[in-house]
Amino acid sequence: MTMKKRLYVPHPGHFDGLKELVSEAGKDIYSIFMAGSPDYVGTGRSNLSSPQIEDIREQTEYAHKNGVKVEIVLNSSCLGGRQLTPEGFNLIHWYLGQLDSCGIDTIVVADPYLVEIIARDFEMLPVVSVLSFVDSPEKARFYEDLGAHSIVVDPDVHRHFDVLHAIRDAVDCEIKLLVNEGCLYQCPFRYAHFNFFSHAFGPQPRPNVLDDYYYDRCIMLRIKDPKLITISPWIRPEDLKEYADITNVFKIGGRTHYVNWILNCVSAYTDESYEGNLMDLLDCPKALKDLYYISNRDFDGALDHWKNCPTICANCGFCRELTDRAVKVYAGGGTENEETVLWSEMAGITEVSA
Amino acid sequence: MITKEILQIRSDIENNLRKMLARAVMVTELDVFALPCGCSGITVNVRGLELDDIEVFEKQMLSFFEEVASRLEIPPSFIFARLIPGSSVVAAINWRVLCDRCYPEFATASGKMPRPDIYIMHFERRGQKGKKR
Repeated sequence: MTMKKRLYVPHPGHFDGLKELVSEAGKDIYSIFMAGSPDYVGTGRSNLSSPQIEDIREQTEYAHKNGVKVEIVLNSSCLGGRQLTPEGFNLIHWYLGQLDSCGIDTIVVADPYLVEIIARDFEMLPVVSVLSFVDSPEKARFYEDLGAHSIVVDPDVHRHFDVLHAIRDAVDCEIKLLVNEGCLYQCPFRYAHFNFFSHAFGPQPRPNVLDDYYYDRCIMLRIKDPKLITISPWIRPEDLKEYADITNVFKIGGRTHYVNWILNCVSAYTDESYEGNLMDLLDCPKALKDLYYISNRDFDGALDHWKNCPTICANCGFCRELTDRAVKVYAGGGTENEETVLWSEMAGITEVSA
Repeated sequence: MITKEILQIRSDIENNLRKMLARAVMVTELDVFALPCGCSGITVNVRGLELDDIEVFEKQMLSFFEEVASRLEIPPSFIFARLIPGSSVVAAINWRVLCDRCYPEFATASGKMPRPDIYIMHFERRGQKGKKR
């Protein structure tokens, strides 16, 4: 028996994508979320599309007719100070007004200033982004006092149930958990990377950058040691019920993915069950789904350990052992000889001397 | 060829680097390119490789990379790693056949890193086939 829950589902932004999501999984989707136009406020992710106001209006009408709510994401972690200038404020306020007139239900922002403005001036409800890094009851209360309708908790505390309970007890507003972000636990790139995204996928002028250092370095770390995937604070579909006394609102990340990938995640989290590669469900390290095969079933029961984990890895070894046992590496990908080998058997054995 | 052959070569490069470094490395893409200037070649986008790895295993890698060039019938005249500028992260390995316009840019430069994003593994000056720098 699965729990009664509200799923926020990513939408790449184009109308055909919305129609497919609604027709294939409309009954399981509480709300879709998508980026707005980067010409006004950026977002914390790259954009597959930048729907304009009329497009958002049409899509909102369509979603509402089908019983699905609409959330727009403007969660730039850095607005460059433009929002505090008269011209910048007027432009952003005008854009927010346009979105509000479309009838969208909620709007995700990371800047406290925008939370306050939206709560005060508009019908649409402000949602505090995961990029506001709410990881304590104090911070949650601060945002609620500003007018937050909902808070997406920093995933870094997903396995710290004492903190989650304290946040739940501190506020009356909605608590939302982003289940499959898959970013590094205590990621050292997090602020710099999202600030970069905010400008690269925000208003002009945009930096012309060939390579994303933060992403490539992040991927490299996880190729060198997939234990970083194990300790990343994602929530398996099977483990949603463990969070039932904290919230029943869950957000699936992945608005830069194709619709069939999103539908696979919706199915897994609706059913609270997934047979297959855990990497199929994780949003952020999607580049690694063709490198690693990690059976989701191998993580059955791991949350029982993590619930009481003080995250001092040097004294434990649980995640190391789990990684060594569970993570397989694809070899010969794309050829007739494709196979998987245990990562732990590959590591440390070289056939070449320098 | 060509799709089956380049799939095999992608896999072989990945496998070779893994055996050398004793850890996972991922070749995310192998591209054949032709530029409007006249340069052509192949690019292998790679994740999990650092400049240190190349410096330590340069001789062994180069030997294998020349074999790859031969399998794709590309003259192994210019092989370089493209770095994320200012970092040790290797983004790609390139086998590039330089056109007459681009050749002087590299022929007149000195050192292994003429730009912060390029680490030259092998460069043949015209008329000096086989000479490495």
